[in-house]
Amino acid sequence: MATVKAPANTPVWVDESRCKACDICVSVCPAGVLAMRPEPSSTLGAMVEIIAPEDCIGCSECELHCPDFAIFVAERSEYKFAKLSKEAKQRAQAIKENNYRILSA
Amino acid sequence: MREIISTGNDLAAIAAVDAGCKFFAGYPITPSSEIMHTISDLLPAAGGVAIQMEDEIAGIAATIGAAMSGKRAMTATSGPGMSLKAENLGLAQMAEVPIVVVDVMRGGPSTGLPTRVSQGDVRQARNPSHGDYRSITLCAGNLAECYTEVVRAFNLADRFMQPVIVLTDETLGHMHGKAIIPDLEEVKAGIKPRKRFDGDPKDYRPYGVGPDEPAVLNPMFEGYRYHFTGLHHDSKGFPTEEIETCRKLIQRLEDKVMKHTDELELNEEFMCDDLTGEEGEVLIIAYGSVSLAAKEAIRHLRADGIKAGLFRPITLWPSPAKRIKELTDKIKNVLCVELNIRQYTEEVERVSSRLDIEGLYKVNGRAISPYEIVTKVKEVF
Amino acid sequence: MAYNYDKYLRLEKMPTLWCWGCGDGVILKAVIRAIDALGWKQDDVCVVSGIGCSGRFSSYVDFNTVHTTHGRTVAYATGIKLANPDKHVICVAGDGDAMAIGGNHTIHGCRRNIDINLIMINNFIYGLTNSQTSPTTPQGMWTVSQKAGNIDPTFDSCEVAIASGASFVARETILNPKKLEKTLIKGFQHKGFAFFDIMSNCHINFGRKNKMGSAMENLAWIDSITIPKAKYDKLTPEEQLNKFPTGVLKYDENAKEYCEMYEEIKKAHQGKRGLITQDDFEKKI
Repeated sequence: MATVKAPANTPVWVDESRCKACDICVSVCPAGVLAMRPEPSSTLGAMVEIIAPEDCIGCSECELHCPDFAIFVAERSEYKFAKLSKEAKQRAQAIKENNYRILSA
Repeated sequence: MREIISTGNDLAAIAAVDAGCKFFAGYPITPSSEIMHTISDLLPAAGGVAIQMEDEIAGIAATIGAAMSGKRAMTATSGPGMSLKAENLGLAQMAEVPIVVVDVMRGGPSTGLPTRVSQGDVRQARNPSHGDYRSITLCAGNLAECYTEVVRAFNLADRFMQPVIVLTDETLGHMHGKAIIPDLEEVKAGIKPRKRFDGDPKDYRPYGVGPDEPAVLNPMFEGYRYHFTGLHHDSKGFPTEEIETCRKLIQRLEDKVMKHTDELELNEEFMCDDLTGEEGEVLIIAYGSVSLAAKEAIRHLRADGIKAGLFRPITLWPSPAKRIKELTDKIKNVLCVELNIRQYTEEVERVSSRLDIEGLYKVNGRAISPYEIVTKVKEVF
Repeated sequence: MAYNYDKYLRLEKMPTLWCWGCGDGVILKAVIRAIDALGWKQDDVCVVSGIGCSGRFSSYVDFNTVHTTHGRTVAYATGIKLANPDKHVICVAGDGDAMAIGGNHTIHGCRRNIDINLIMINNFIYGLTNSQTSPTTPQGMWTVSQKAGNIDPTFDSCEVAIASGASFVARETILNPKKLEKTLIKGFQHKGFAFFDIMSNCHINFGRKNKMGSAMENLAWIDSITIPKAKYDKLTPEEQLNKFPTGVLKYDENAKEYCEMYEEIKKAHQGKRGLITQDDFEKKI
C-alpha cells in the first residue's frame, strides 16, 4: 500500500490548499470532529476546520468521501482513536443542522 | 527486386506487414475489404493483431489506440468510411499519432457507386477533419505502388508523426497483375521508426520540440508516462488554453510538414525530358490509375507527332507546387485528367496562377480510356 | 502511516477542475486505492477517458493516459489492449459518453468480452456542457434541452451490459466508497470485460434545477433510488420500478476473454503457409 508518514499525534489533518468547501466531510463525520469556518479567501467563503480532534474515531469516512484529496486520517497503528461518545454524536447532529458551520458559542 | 502476381488490395496488405505493421483494425467496405481479409491472415502469422471492428469509427479509433501505444498501425476504407473517420483523424493530427489510412476510392458522394472507380476523395484527403493541420496524402499510380506507397507511408507517418493517407482506387485495388516490388531485405533495411527519447523520464517533454519538428512520442508502458489529448496541450501533453502555447502548437503542426516538403515530394515525369516550351507541346497532369491511360495516350500522341508528356504527382498533398509552377510556366497547353470534377485541377490553377488549364473529367464510375485522352488533346489544343 | 495518494496523482495538475463536492473526485480516489491494493505498476496501467467532466479523469492520474474523442473510449482502449494484452486498461466515461454516442462501442466491448474495465460515471446528465438530457436522465427531470421535463425513457445500463455479453457487471454509488473500492478491485482482477455503473452526483448541473442543489441532497436522492441486489430481488415488480440494484450483478469467471482467444488465432497461423509467404516470391529479378 502506498503510504506516507502522518504528522505526530494527529488523528486527522487537512490540506487547506485543496479544500473546496463542499461540506461533504462534515456531513459524513459521525463524531462532530469537523465543521466549516468562515474563510473570506476561499472561493465559497468557507474552509474545513478540525474542531474536536480528540473525538475522532478513525472511521476515515471524511477521507474516503473527500473528492479533492484534502483531508487525511492516520492509520490505527499510529494513533489511538477515541470511541464514539454521545456528546460527540449530538455535536455532529447540531453541526449538520447548522448548515455544517461551526456552532457559535 | 521480386516479381509477384497479385491485386492492389493484397499488395497493400503485404506491404503493411513487410513494413513492420503490427496492428490493423478495419470494417468491411467495398472496394477495400480485401485488404482486411488478406491482412487478417498475414498479421497474426507475423505476431500482430488484425481485428474487424463494429464500425468505421471503431476501426480508426482502435488503430490510433494501438499506434498511441507504440505499434505501427493501419486501417483501410473507402470514401464513406473516410467521412466517418474524419473526427478521429483530427485527433491523430492534433495528438501527432502516426498511422496509415488506405482509401480505395470508389464512386461518390455518399453511397455512390460502391463497385466502381473514381478519384472523388482527393479534395477530402487534403482536409478530412476540421481545423488547421496539413494532411499528407500519397496516391498509388500502378500495382507496384500499391505496395511501395504503403511502405513509404509508414516511414513518413513515423517521420512526421501524423496520419498518412494512401489513396488507391477500385481499378487498382481489384487489378490483378504482375508487380515488381523491392526485396523484403531492402524494405526492412529502409524502415525508419519514430524518434524516441531515452533520457530521464522527469525530463521528457513529448510535445516540447522545435518549431518545425514533430512530437517525440515514446511507446506506452516503458517508463515514460504522458498524456494524449485532442485539446490544445502543453509540452507534456496536458490540456491548456494558454495563448502562446496554443499559437505555437498549431503553427508547429503546419510548419512540421510545410517546412519539410522536400522529404515528402515524389513525382513521376513521363516523357517530359524533351518538353522545352515550344509551340504545340502538351503537358498532361494525372495521378492514380488514370495515369496508366495517360501514359498510353501519350505514346499514341507522340506517334501522331504531338510532343506530350505526363506530370504525375505521387505525393498529392502537400502538392508539388514549385514543380507544377515551373512546368506550367514553360508549357502552354496543360490538360488535367481526373475521375472527379476539377479536384486537383483547382490546385494546379492555384499554384500556377493560370485559369486556362484544360480538363477531362469523368464521374460516372467508368475509367477514362487512352482514346478519350487523345481525342481531348486534339480537340482543345 | 496514512494513505499516500500523491504517488498516483499528477500533482502539478491539482486541484482538480471539478466542482466542489463532485463525485468524480471520490471515484478517482477509489480507483487509485483499488489499483494500489492490487499492486499494479504505474507503467503497466493505461487510463483512457472520453469527453465530459469524467473525461478529465485521465489528466490527474500518473499512468499512461489518453483523452479520446466523445464516445470512442472503448474503441481506443480495444486497440491499446489488443496491441498490449498483458497490460491493464481502464476506461472512464460518463453516462452520455458510454451509453449515447458511445453506446455501440460499449455494446461491442461487452460482446467481445475483452479484458478492459469500463467505469461509467453516471451522474444522470451531460454535466460539462450544461445539463442536457442523457440516456440515464430520469423522466420528468428538468434539463436544459427539455425544460418542460424530460420525456425520454431511460434504460438500465447494467442490463444493457449484461445482455451485450460483459462477464463482470456491477453497480455502485459513491455513497459507500469502501464498497466501491472493493467492487473495483474485484472487477479489475477479473479477466474479461468489467462494466461498472457508478452513480455519482452532479449537483451543479443536474441537482440544482431539480431540487437537489447541494452534494448532500443529490447523494440522498441517489440513496433513495438504489438498493442492494439481495433486497432488490425480494421486491415486487411495482416496487422495483425506478429502483436500481447495487452490487455485483453478473460475474462469469468462465467466459472466454478476447485477447486469449486471439492468442489461439496467432498460434493457428504460425507455421501455417499463409496467403503469401517469402516462398511465393520465387522469381528474383
